[in-house]
Amino acid sequence: MDDLDLLKKDWKKQEKNLPHLSYDELYKMIWKRSSSIVKWIFIISIVEFLLGAVLNIFLADDHYWEQMEKYSLTEFIIATYVISYLITFYFIYKFYNNYRSISTTDSASMLMKSILKTRKTVKYYISFILISSGVVFLVSLILMLRNHAVNADPGQANMEFDTKQWAIFIGGTLIALAILLGIIWLIYRVVYGILLRRLHKNYKELKKLEME
Amino acid sequence: MNKELEHQFVTNLEQHQNIAHKICRIYTNDKDSHNDLFQEITIQLWKAYPKFRGDSKFSTWMYRVALNTAITLYRKKKRSIRTQDYDSVHFKIKSEEYDDEVEQHLKLMYDAIRQLNDIDKALIFLYLEDKNYAEISETLGITEVNARVKMNRVKTKLKNLINP
Repeated sequence: MDDLDLLKKDWKKQEKNLPHLSYDELYKMIWKRSSSIVKWIFIISIVEFLLGAVLNIFLADDHYWEQMEKYSLTEFIIATYVISYLITFYFIYKFYNNYRSISTTDSASMLMKSILKTRKTVKYYISFILISSGVVFLVSLILMLRNHAVNADPGQANMEFDTKQWAIFIGGTLIALAILLGIIWLIYRVVYGILLRRLHKNYKELKKLEME
Repeated sequence: MNKELEHQFVTNLEQHQNIAHKICRIYTNDKDSHNDLFQEITIQLWKAYPKFRGDSKFSTWMYRVALNTAITLYRKKKRSIRTQDYDSVHFKIKSEEYDDEVEQHLKLMYDAIRQLNDIDKALIFLYLEDKNYAEISETLGITEVNARVKMNRVKTKLKNLINP
């Protein structure tokens, strides 16, 4: 008998030794796509980080630093960079961990737990972005005003605000801040919201499967 | 995604899962990578399923998508191929049914298949599956003539590997 015929015969014989997965096992497998959603969250967070870093480098030219120096904001800005990068790294690390854990789980209940954890991490991340943007905005404004008052030329026309002007100024600032945060929030809702909704849908389906 | 589609897909997959398992046997050497590849194939099939219009049989379509997955995954993971363990598991031959000599020879042949490149493996796999050239050309997206030429080359290559 020809070698290849022998091989073919043996190949057929092996068919009965193949593993067989049940309907449920296969069904769960197609829900594994949660892992690819989490992978996207991880990738987007990195892209976002890189984009931010590149923007920072391009925007922070000599002129920018001169300005900051003028308002004595240099130390504050550098500290902000360091802290925000550290926290961002921490979140990237968390996203990566979530991705690892979700892509290696086999049981549906573990997968559900990982999904919940991922959603929570993303929510914390968005809160961090919003809170830090707000804080940085307000603190830089206050520092700028204070240092401006210190440095202001006494001979210059009187720049003192009366109460009404202060009210308008503070009101305007708060509205600007609200709009800024609103835009950031909206962007993050769009970017992460879609992925989170998909994850949530997977979660609900898995839960149904567990109950049956 | 609608429930009906899911049910349909999983039912079909359960019925035809042997195709995927057999592809895993050709392309992987241990249980873990077998399961990895099987899962990847399942996910790719499910992703592609909405585009499956039923103008070919589910099994035909499955051969195509599953082989494509194995070939691309194999390419990505080429590094891990070096660590293959020839003696381990996969092509366990039922020893009662063959005498020692035949068994040795079969082992030699399976080892030879492992040394083929990914496309050649696909061809041998389809040959072992008793596919005719029309089916092979459809599955691999090449012409029938081309399939015939390639198949002959692989067979020769395999024979040379077995009897150097």
